[in-house]
Amino acid sequence: METFDSLALGFSVAFRPDVLFYAFLGCLVGTLVGMLPGIGPLAGISILLPATFGLDATKAVVLLAGIYYGSQYGGSTTSILLRIPGEASSVMTCIDGHAMAQRGRAGAALAIAAVASFIAGTLSVIALTFVAPPLARLALRFGPPEYTALLVMGLVFLAYMSTTSLVRTLLMAAIGLLLGCIGIDTMSGHFRYAFDLKELGDGIGIVPVAVGLFGLGEILSTVVKGAPSNVASPRLSELMPTRQEWKAAALPILRGSGLGFLVGIVPGSAHVISSFLSYGLERKLSRNPDEFGKGAVAGVAGPEAANNAASTGAFVPMLALGLPTGPVTAVLMAALLIHGVPAGPTLVTDHPTVFWGFIASMYVGNVMLLVLNLPFVGLFVAVLRIPYVYLYPLIVMFCILGVYEVSHSVVDVWIMLIMGVVGYLLRKFDFDPAPLVLGLVIAPTLELSLRQSLVMSGGDWMIFFRRPIAASLILISIGLLLFSAAGLIVKRRAGGPSVGR
Amino acid sequence: MIWRRDHVAGGVMAALALAVLAMSGDLPFGTLASPGAGMLPILTTGLILLFGVVLMLQAAHSPPLAEITWSDLPHATRVAAITAACIFAYERLGFLITTATLLLVLILIVERRPMGAALAISIGVPAAAYLLLAKLMRSALPIGIFGL
Repeated sequence: METFDSLALGFSVAFRPDVLFYAFLGCLVGTLVGMLPGIGPLAGISILLPATFGLDATKAVVLLAGIYYGSQYGGSTTSILLRIPGEASSVMTCIDGHAMAQRGRAGAALAIAAVASFIAGTLSVIALTFVAPPLARLALRFGPPEYTALLVMGLVFLAYMSTTSLVRTLLMAAIGLLLGCIGIDTMSGHFRYAFDLKELGDGIGIVPVAVGLFGLGEILSTVVKGAPSNVASPRLSELMPTRQEWKAAALPILRGSGLGFLVGIVPGSAHVISSFLSYGLERKLSRNPDEFGKGAVAGVAGPEAANNAASTGAFVPMLALGLPTGPVTAVLMAALLIHGVPAGPTLVTDHPTVFWGFIASMYVGNVMLLVLNLPFVGLFVAVLRIPYVYLYPLIVMFCILGVYEVSHSVVDVWIMLIMGVVGYLLRKFDFDPAPLVLGLVIAPTLELSLRQSLVMSGGDWMIFFRRPIAASLILISIGLLLFSAAGLIVKRRAGGPSVGR
Repeated sequence: MIWRRDHVAGGVMAALALAVLAMSGDLPFGTLASPGAGMLPILTTGLILLFGVVLMLQAAHSPPLAEITWSDLPHATRVAAITAACIFAYERLGFLITTATLLLVLILIVERRPMGAALAISIGVPAAAYLLLAKLMRSALPIGIFGL
């Protein structure tokens, strides 16, 4: 009953005209970000993060989260119409979605993708509504050792689930942690690696790093191409799938929703992995596995449901535990923190309007996205015809403008440029820059909780094994590392590649 | 010996870690009972060094260095250099002049697009952004020596 009362409070916030406006804006920008190849949700959120500084925490998080889950909807459009994934989680939709389009069923594929995204998004928000608050209550019992163990487990999980190798992911996370140590040490007042720059006293901000790595870095890495010439634009009348297509989509949508939500809770590139897992599952369960790759409805419905559910599932550890499951949730956490609202167990109790307003806005946002993505598909297709050579200079301008507006410091803009070049080089050498951002975000909390744990135990590191929750989390981390190392050795003995999964 | 991607990547990371360790001399590591400001940075740098070395040891399984394509490097260098010039001029010349020049140079010179489109975008977009941010939202944009 308490949950329903709180949800009613949330809806009273979410239905305010100003909050509705920002939810709509987030969904609209998210759809565009998802559609345009070369700009992922992380780049979109990073670039727009400074624009939220004039807003309150609720509107800011509603806008930025709308971009995140909106991009999952938008990514399917380019996958189906052009066989180009607008963003990474739409890769699987390319296969059967585009095959359906080639058979003249582009409209039906778009409708199934949008409806699957809507159902999965709504079901997973319902799950989030009931899972996050009790988990937050449990997390209120956490002390510094539990938090240290939880953050370490988050990093290990990220490395384990990563699409690049374990060593590369941990290396990136370690560099992020090191960057997070720059600036004044809050416990002793020592200046660390500040090179006499007073602007570095407060440390390196998440905005210049994220905008540099994912905004400018992406631009430097993207080969400039002209606008695609053969973009089909299905009419509204062509969007209705047949009864048989609905029937073929129903169970994959439900399975994708459940699978995606569970995978989303686990730190890592959840929304990408979930769509791969869902595609594999549907193919395994299908009576006609040969149909996959040739336009199977389940090959569109399952992965699309899964990536949307995963993007919502990722909010569970972020909201309840203050644990970012990936770079997008890390940036969202940073956005909340900038507004004086720390994500974590105290969010539900100390800032109920932010927490429940955000959850309620996701119900509303999913309806908005369904309305946006079906009737206005022709309008979005028109955006795809804008040549990238006109888009990227504008993105560079907004990167500079956005980063400068955060602190009015040109040092931050130089950091953004340096991180852009670093991002370009990291991509060349097959590093995923995402764990670096995650490391940067969790570094202050990890350092504080680690040092507090050691001080309260008098220097006895066994404190992490004496407390049951901390011990369980550390043992899970060790188990994952051993499991991963064993897999690597088996692969090496079998003669397979040891680097990359 | 064939130089491979991870020889270079691991080597650079290890060198970076050694450089950071050399700079960390004045940071107190502390003790386990009283950790100092240098504990996490030094531990993290140690991990970077370790992972860098592991990457080098595993390098035989990575592709040869020569296989990395650098065909996009000239374009990336031009964009980065123009962005650097823009950042340098941002507070000196102000928002309007700097961003208009940035857009004009990128569209007209780097991408060789028609003059009309380049001028329309490079004047229209910064002007619209200036009106929205400076006039409507009262955000402080850099003004520069010309007061723009």
